[in-house]
Amino acid sequence: MGSYVAAIWRCRYFWLSLVKNDLRTRYRRSVLGMGWSLLHPICMTIILTAVFCKLFNQEIRVYAPFVLAGLATWNYILTVVSHGCHCYFIGESYIRQYPAPLAIYPLRTALGGTVHFLLALLVVLMLSWYFNGFANVSALVSLVPTIFLLFIFAWSLAVLAGVANVYFQDTQHLTEVGFQMLFYATPIIYEVEMLQRRNLGWLVHLNPLVSLLELVRQPILAGQIPTAHTYAVAIATVVVTALTAGWTLARLQQRLIFHL
Amino acid sequence: MARIELDKVSLTFRVRQRGRITLKEFLVRQMFRRSVNPMIEVQALQEVCLQFHEGERIGIVGHNGAGKSTLLKVLAGIYPPSHGRRIVEGRISSLFDIALGFELDATGWENMAYRGYLQGETPQTIRAKMQPIADFTELGNFLDMPVRYYSAGMLVRLAFSIATAIEPEILLVDEVLSVGDMAFQEKARQRMREMIAKAKLIVLVSHDLVNLTQLCDRAVWMDHGRVRQVGPTAEIIDAYTNSVHAGQSQAA
Repeated sequence: MGSYVAAIWRCRYFWLSLVKNDLRTRYRRSVLGMGWSLLHPICMTIILTAVFCKLFNQEIRVYAPFVLAGLATWNYILTVVSHGCHCYFIGESYIRQYPAPLAIYPLRTALGGTVHFLLALLVVLMLSWYFNGFANVSALVSLVPTIFLLFIFAWSLAVLAGVANVYFQDTQHLTEVGFQMLFYATPIIYEVEMLQRRNLGWLVHLNPLVSLLELVRQPILAGQIPTAHTYAVAIATVVVTALTAGWTLARLQQRLIFHL
Repeated sequence: MARIELDKVSLTFRVRQRGRITLKEFLVRQMFRRSVNPMIEVQALQEVCLQFHEGERIGIVGHNGAGKSTLLKVLAGIYPPSHGRRIVEGRISSLFDIALGFELDATGWENMAYRGYLQGETPQTIRAKMQPIADFTELGNFLDMPVRYYSAGMLVRLAFSIATAIEPEILLVDEVLSVGDMAFQEKARQRMREMIAKAKLIVLVSHDLVNLTQLCDRAVWMDHGRVRQVGPTAEIIDAYTNSVHAGQSQAA
């Protein structure tokens, strides 16, 4: 395991330069640059805020940062999974010529997604500060381990998505459908309490993404460091996903090229 | 100390007859136990035993589909053998499929860096080598354009220059030179000779038997996945040529 990580570290210039290339290619000739990737969640936030504030009497200054924070995190996970499905096909020509640890191709995907997430998070912070100020700046420090946790989660998901899509080529469609359904079962556009009030609290317990969302939202919106229980669930989710990804790579890495 | 040893190495490919399987099809198949997309086994290499030592220059000949490229990929560590052992000591540099492995939207200069990193260079070492590589390619201003717009020959020039700019201990080459123009082929042959002098161990697959005779001292004749004969280059090439002609006169 140690030698595997060392091997990944040894080709660090390779995957770092590919991540830079990916980011540059996407925004090579565009005026806004990386701003384009923020356009989608920002537009969604504007629309959802307009609708929910009018219809359900939510306050803009509470609701807008809430929705944007949720959307930013959700988009992060969604894009990492859907791009992760292709990561081994995109890297196929490298895999066929140079033996390298196969974890670097999902790593490329996860790092690209993380950059976009950090930008979106910046916008969320600015929006929240503009509307409400920061109740507790020191709570924001907890965002640093959260980002790291989310990155490990994203990398593991990308590994699983990439390997699954190589073995079963309809994985991508299935994940798209699955995530669409999951979107409505996750409190992104509505508060967690809304589910619990309608006796659907069990959905919250079953859905592992809720705790990750709370880790992001609570320090920014409520100025609180999340509870130990939230941390426990989030860390457990990430650890289980990471172990599954590691086990998958250990078993299937050698044979993956035969399925490309 | 460069060394290659293959001890009874076999490689079997299992492919599906009608392309990739979907999850839905997989589940249905489990339920009904019928196979509409069966697996086929292809024995690419069978019980290959080879030993190459430092200082040797090995050529590999054989008919199309004999397993020459597969053998090189096993040597490079890309395909794990299904059976047997592969022992390779020394830093490997390989030249396969030379038009692959480019980031199409990146310029020639950027791709030089990426391929260099994959071969183990660092930003400092590659920066020093960029101008010499560029000079060898003779692509001039084309290097500022995205690689997507290059012709096959230009890609070969770029890839060959990058791959031969490192100092390899073990060099594995797979029929790469056929696409370049005449001037480039001459330059490439000269560069290969220089590399052969510098590299400790070279394995070269080629259909150009004259080239092989000039560059290699030992040869391996692959036939349907098996090693048919190993020996001095002239001897192997004679045997191979005779067998091909015998086959042709039989068919005629």
